[in-house]
Order: sequence, then C-alpha cells, then structure tokens
Amino acid sequence: MHINFLKKRNRDRFNVEYVPSFPVLALICILCLYAPMVPLLFYSFNDSTLLTVWHGFSWQWYEAAWNNERVQEVTLRSLGLALQASVYSTILATMAALATTRVPKYRGQGLIYAVINQPIMVPEIVTAVALLIFFASIKAATGYQGTAYLVLAHTAFCIPFSYLPIRARLENMNLSLENAAADLYASPWRTFKRVTFPLLFPGILAGAMLAFVISLDDVVITEFVKTPGKDTLPTYMLGELRREVTPEINAISSVLFVVSILLVGMTFLISSKK
Amino acid sequence: MRQLKNSIIISSVAASMLFVSQSVSAAGELNIYNWGDYTSPELVTKFEETYNVTVTITDYDSNDTALAKVKAGGHGFDIAIPSANYMPIWISEGLLLETRPDQMSNFKNVLPEWTNPDWDPGRHYSVPYQWGSVGMVVNTDVYSGDINTSAIAFDPPEELVGKINVAPEMGDIIGMALYYVGSEPCTDDKAALKRARDVLMAAKPKWVSMTYGIKEPFASGDIAASVYWNGDAMRTRQETPSVHYGYPKEGYVLWMDSVVVLKDAQNVENAKLFQNFMMEPESAALASNFAMYANGIKGSSEFMLEILATAPEVQIPAEHLPNGRFIEMCSAEVNKLYSGIWTEMMK
Repeated sequence: MHINFLKKRNRDRFNVEYVPSFPVLALICILCLYAPMVPLLFYSFNDSTLLTVWHGFSWQWYEAAWNNERVQEVTLRSLGLALQASVYSTILATMAALATTRVPKYRGQGLIYAVINQPIMVPEIVTAVALLIFFASIKAATGYQGTAYLVLAHTAFCIPFSYLPIRARLENMNLSLENAAADLYASPWRTFKRVTFPLLFPGILAGAMLAFVISLDDVVITEFVKTPGKDTLPTYMLGELRREVTPEINAISSVLFVVSILLVGMTFLISSKK
Repeated sequence: MRQLKNSIIISSVAASMLFVSQSVSAAGELNIYNWGDYTSPELVTKFEETYNVTVTITDYDSNDTALAKVKAGGHGFDIAIPSANYMPIWISEGLLLETRPDQMSNFKNVLPEWTNPDWDPGRHYSVPYQWGSVGMVVNTDVYSGDINTSAIAFDPPEELVGKINVAPEMGDIIGMALYYVGSEPCTDDKAALKRARDVLMAAKPKWVSMTYGIKEPFASGDIAASVYWNGDAMRTRQETPSVHYGYPKEGYVLWMDSVVVLKDAQNVENAKLFQNFMMEPESAALASNFAMYANGIKGSSEFMLEILATAPEVQIPAEHLPNGRFIEMCSAEVNKLYSGIWTEMMK
C-alpha cells in the first residue's frame, strides 16, 4: 500500500500535466466563487422581509415570486430570448467553426478568429452603447419596436460562447473518418451529415447550452437595447434593486443560479464525453 | 447622483449621437419609461380603463440610462419620470415636449409649494410624481435628544458614536455638510468647502459604515442612526418602532421625480392625458401607495394608506418644511472639488 503510494507520487512527478497541490487551489477557487452565493440561497428561505436577519424557514418568497405576474412575464421572455439566441448563435458558430478548421489555411484566418471572439474581448458597455446608437437609427427609420433587436444582439454576443466548444471538439476529432467518407465518394454535405455532425453533436449541444446561459444572464446590453415593454428577468431584477430589496429577489436569484449551474454542469459533462 | 461620473461619460457619448424624431403613431397606446418597481399596477389599470388605452411599462435603473436611451432616439417611449436634478439637462437638451401642465385642468390640485420649482419654472414640462427627503434616521431608545439637526451625523452625541451609517451619496452628503457649515450646496466658495471638508473628516471616524440598506442594521442594533431617505426611514420604523426621522434645521436635501412627455413621443395626446391624470388626487394616492412616498397633490392623502397618510417621515411637519431644499447638478469645477473632498474622506 505504502509502496504503491510512493510509486504513484513518482509517476505523477514525471507527468507533464501534473501540477502540485492542484486540488487545493481548485478548492480555494470554488470557495471564493461560490461562498458569496451561500447567504443568498440561505436567506431566500427567510420568513421575514429582512435580508440578513434570520426569522425562520419559509417558502413564502418562492411563492411570492412564482405568483408575481411581472416575474412570470419577464421570465418567459428571458427563456424565449435565450432559446432563440442560443439556436441562432449555435448555427452560425457551427458554420464558423467548420470554416476555420476544415479548410486549408488561408490568409486572414487569425483575423477572422479574432473577429468571431470580439464580444468576449470588448467590454460589454462598449458593445451596448454601440448597439444603442446603431439600433436607434433603425428604430427611427422603420418604427419597428419588437423583440428582434434583442434577439439579434443576444445572438451576436453568444456566438463566441457557442463557437469555442464547437471548435475545440472539431480540432480534437480524428480526421481519418471524414477522409474515409470522402474517399468513398461521399459529397461534402453527406460527409458532414453522416460523419462530422454526429461526432460534433456533443460540442454543438455544449455550445448551445453555454450560449443559453450567457443570454439568460445578460444585463448591460439588454438594458440598452430593449424596446418598450421588453424587460427581461435580469433587467427587471436590476430595476427592483433601486428601492427596498426583499428576499423575493433572493428566491429568483437562487432559481436562476441553480438553473445556470445545471446547464453549465451538463455542458461540461457532455463536452467531456469522448 | 449615485452615478454622476457615469452620467458625464454617458451623456457625452449620447450627446454625439444623431437625434432622429419619430413619426409613427399607434392609436390607444401609451409607453411609460419609469424607474423599476416604481409604477403602481392599479394606477396603470385605472388609466387604461378610464381612457381605453393600452399602457406598456418599461423599467430603467438610473437617470443616466434613461437619459442615454432617450438621447439616442428611436426609443419608442412617450413618458419618462426623471429626477429633479436631471430635469435641467432634459429641458436644455430639447428632449421634452412643452405640454404646459400648468394650463391643464387638474393643475389646481398641485400643492402650491410644487407649482414653481427651480428646475422647471412654472411647470411648463413636468407633473409631480413622487418626492421625498434625505434626513436623520435615529433610534430614540439609544439617543433621546433633538434629532432635527445634522449634528447627529457631523458632531454626533456620545451615545451615537460608532453607531452611525451614512448613505454613500456624494452630492447629498457634501450638500448637507455645506448646509451644516452655513453655506449652500454647489457653492464655489472655497472657504466654505474647506469648512465642510473639515467637518466631514472629523466626523468620519465616528461613523461605523457608509452603505445602502438600513432596515436590517437598525433591527439588529448594529447602527442607531443614519443619514438616509425618508421612505426607508418609514419602512425601518415598521420593523423597529423606536426609529424616528429628523429634519435637520441647518438644511436638508429634497428630491422629486416628475412625469414628462418626450419630444419624440408617438402618443402625445395619451401622454398629456396621463400627465393630467397624475394630478388627480386618487391617481396620485395610488402612485404613493405603491412607491410609499409623498406625491405633491392636494387632497391625495384621503385616498392614501393609513400608515402613509399619517407618517411623519412622509408628511413633513409644517415647521420643518422651509429647511428642505433641492440640490442641483453642480458645475464641473465644483464637482471636481466635491470629488476631491469625497475621495479624501473615503480613504
């Protein structure tokens, strides 16, 4: 037993992927990220209007949030928006990923990569102000005030989040199967449909889920782009914070937090599946 | 005020934007752009039923966001509800329609003290929505002396030292300190600003915190006094009955949010109807019952909730009324001095 342990340590030391005390560091990171959430979850069950003085257990704030018509309305809008944005951005991201990995190297490929990932690099407020000005002229010219602006904006900033896992999957996939299909006279479309797509699917699903969460959580861009009556759950919550904050906000946040965790967790499980 | 710096950045960005007016109109609609959690659903229903108009509410989270979106144009809103200190910007930028509320049929209901505010002389643009004050919230079980003085925060009595919270609002707090030293907010008198700075620097070590949210620390006893808004003081009293609200005799700060019609509104007639509607006592009371602040309309208190109609935090006692004043946006130069004082104090 003891000797086995030493052997393992010796082996680890020569493994290039071995990082000393990695589990400890990971644990510290997780603690720092999630410890602030604990009181939020805890006080969402508080039987009082106070946020940080415990009075007893109750579901009343979950009930209040569930029965709040405004919350229902903005939640449905947020979910619908996230669904649309994630579907569109994933389709575009899949095409972009194929066009940047399954073709011979060409000039400007690095630039295209940078352009696709621009929403990750550029501060959100810059994108928000730019979209505000851009859409304002369209709104003034057409008079259209629907949700399309939000769908477009969300699709745009979700693209890199779908793109990265899809591209990672494509780069790690064995090319020999696709080459074999081509050798057997499969058209490029048929190769994609029968070989690439099924192999790529976990990456696509992971990308779509990530995009869904990103869209669901967005505040800044939505606040600037939204048209009359098109509040989403996060912008509604932001508006609520101006005055008295009740644990109803904790309850909504907790649900949102759990949904996000589930989706991101599933993304991780799916994309790590070989 | 909370985001003064942002406001400067955003408004300069927005100022460079093209202003395009809108011509599309839709019958029977009204788009209201208001602070989040600030529009009474009952009020909306009443307006919809009375005038057969569909109302859409959209939230904003700060004066700056609202200003930036409206300045950009094409926003689709008819009504906004900006704060008094921003009103001169909205007017001078040409964002508002001069609807002359002072000539509307219900203008007679506006309390005389609100008919001619400095920030909208003669009320050519705006109708009162909600107003309140920043004063001294004190737990009188801990300190039983006079609470109608800003000495509570600036030269605190022994009992309150180390138990004071101050709202982290630069404009309000420095303004209050300037009143305390016998000057006026936004003054460019360096000697007065120096005195205000000295008062703040000497008081700061006697405070325990500078944060938002006072209901809980009062309930738990962590603080026994705070410079804060009147509406929160009233709600704090519901949890901790010994908490009272003082109006500093040296001078205290008032705020008011007012209903305005935007220049590029698409439903101008409905928007004007709404302005007139907001000056009816019943409507104003509905707004107050939801937002829990006073409204500036005569006769509205008989339709208000009992706790609101009788709250000394909301209905300013007559003897304290003359000491309350509105603060404006200070000049850029004074703002720099303010920021200097604030930064030094926050260290």
